[in-house]
Amino acid sequence: MMRIYQWLTGCAALLCMNVALAAQPPDPLNSVLWDYTRNIFLGDVDYRFNPDVRVDVPAFAEDPTQVPITVDARALSGNIERIVVWADLNPIQHIFNYFPSELASPKVSLRIKVQQSTAIRAAVLTKTGEWHIGYAQLDAAGGGCTTPSMGNADPYWQSHLGEVKARRFAADDSEGARYKFRVIHPMDTGLVDAIPEFYLQQVELKGPEGTTVVRMELSPPVSENPVITFDLDDTRSGYTLWMRDNGGNEFEQTL
Amino acid sequence: MKHLMILMLLVISAPTLAARLEYDLRAEQVADNTWFVEGKTEDFSVENGGHIVNTAFIVTTEGVIVLDTGVSRRYGEALLALIRTRTDQPIRLVINTHQHPDHFLGNQAFADWPIAALGQTQAQIRQHGDSFAENMYRLVGDWMRGTEVVVPDQVIEPGMMDVGGHRLEWMELSGHSGADLVLFDHSTGVLFPFDMVFYQRALTTPHTPGLKQWQQEIEQLQAIPFKVMLPGHGPKVTDQRALEQMHDYLGWLDQVLAASAEQGLSMTEVMTQSIPSRFDGIALRQVEFERTVSHLYPQYEEAVFDN
Repeated sequence: MMRIYQWLTGCAALLCMNVALAAQPPDPLNSVLWDYTRNIFLGDVDYRFNPDVRVDVPAFAEDPTQVPITVDARALSGNIERIVVWADLNPIQHIFNYFPSELASPKVSLRIKVQQSTAIRAAVLTKTGEWHIGYAQLDAAGGGCTTPSMGNADPYWQSHLGEVKARRFAADDSEGARYKFRVIHPMDTGLVDAIPEFYLQQVELKGPEGTTVVRMELSPPVSENPVITFDLDDTRSGYTLWMRDNGGNEFEQTL
Repeated sequence: MKHLMILMLLVISAPTLAARLEYDLRAEQVADNTWFVEGKTEDFSVENGGHIVNTAFIVTTEGVIVLDTGVSRRYGEALLALIRTRTDQPIRLVINTHQHPDHFLGNQAFADWPIAALGQTQAQIRQHGDSFAENMYRLVGDWMRGTEVVVPDQVIEPGMMDVGGHRLEWMELSGHSGADLVLFDHSTGVLFPFDMVFYQRALTTPHTPGLKQWQQEIEQLQAIPFKVMLPGHGPKVTDQRALEQMHDYLGWLDQVLAASAEQGLSMTEVMTQSIPSRFDGIALRQVEFERTVSHLYPQYEEAVFDN
């Protein structure tokens, strides 16, 4: 009798859970890890899928160690607290956080590693506390996170670590500027035997007065020798780029 | 009972499944003693089994010269069977024209005879062959069953070769894959550029040393007085149109990548650049353009940083 009672309570609990889950919008990409990953990165909160938060990826990840993605949240410009980007099926899911200031145009492009075909998410937390989720499905053969970095076969990076090449361009829309930079760093994931995790964790773009205009927190799935493109609603010159890796190395360069 | 029914279903369906995995290879005679086996202008798929590559053979009085062996053991066996329907001559020489898997993974069917490639191609197949084969299993599935890499056992040097009444000129180019064999048969006027030329099918760039290099080598091919040309992918031509398309398309690719880098576009933004309508007849142009951006755009970005 007791057992039946337990069983009934269990069923009731499951039903309640289903009701609670049903209140949240279902994942358009039907990824098995959506509920798990959103709990990690958002917590147990309300959210909405918003196609205006654009995640652009190629149809196929030709090189799983260098997959280009662009996150474009300009539709929510001025109202963004942070953007969290992750890949549902990567062994290290988190890719980066992006924190814009008022002078940033919230569009950022970089290249990432993927281990297999996966949903890519860009969750935008607005200043009013709402989560808007952009997403894209990426098809891949895989293996990008467990392949040794090219740098490991070539000592070049050791003497060029943190070396930056950068250039300013005209903005792709309206007033502003675009900065693209490439920095030498192995971005090792720690998932390859005998190669410890070694990656850039912090990137900041600072304006002429030294105030941070864009701040990013990177995770190891960002590709080796990162190439990152930022857009700004600011035409002034005198910007600097500052970075720090998990080994405590700091790099700074005037752009 | 249930198990019996499943078993019966399996017995019934097995032969139909097996029948599906047959390459329908056809040989078209394009010149004296010269046969062309044309593939589809499609991407690799489980439907086409990788029958997307052109192969050919020349029946000389001193034996048959086989030009590429296809994508799988099964393809190689089908090609050998096809050759046997056209001639009783023994196989004299088998050629792998470059390192890409759709051109050498049929080698097992020809393992009894000498298989030759450029020295660099031989080294490339030795180094990358297994990972190419793995990728093919992923792309076309069961068609690959039993396929293993057979590295060419002989090195062919560029130059003239007189064999069985054919005066063959072998040339070494590099634009497509770093080491690309080209054959001009002076006796028949047939030019075999292999994958140096794609016609009505977008070219692929994973191992190109550069678009400009490839374009310059297309100009070299334009100077050859051929009567018939058999591209590595796409239909045969009897005039310059395939070379003109290659030259034009390579030039456009180079220009769009350079201009995009100069504007500071990111890779995903370059991938959305529109392909001019004059290339509308080229199959797979959008997907191959995206692949090319992945392969080559970082070099163009790097050049702009250095400016």
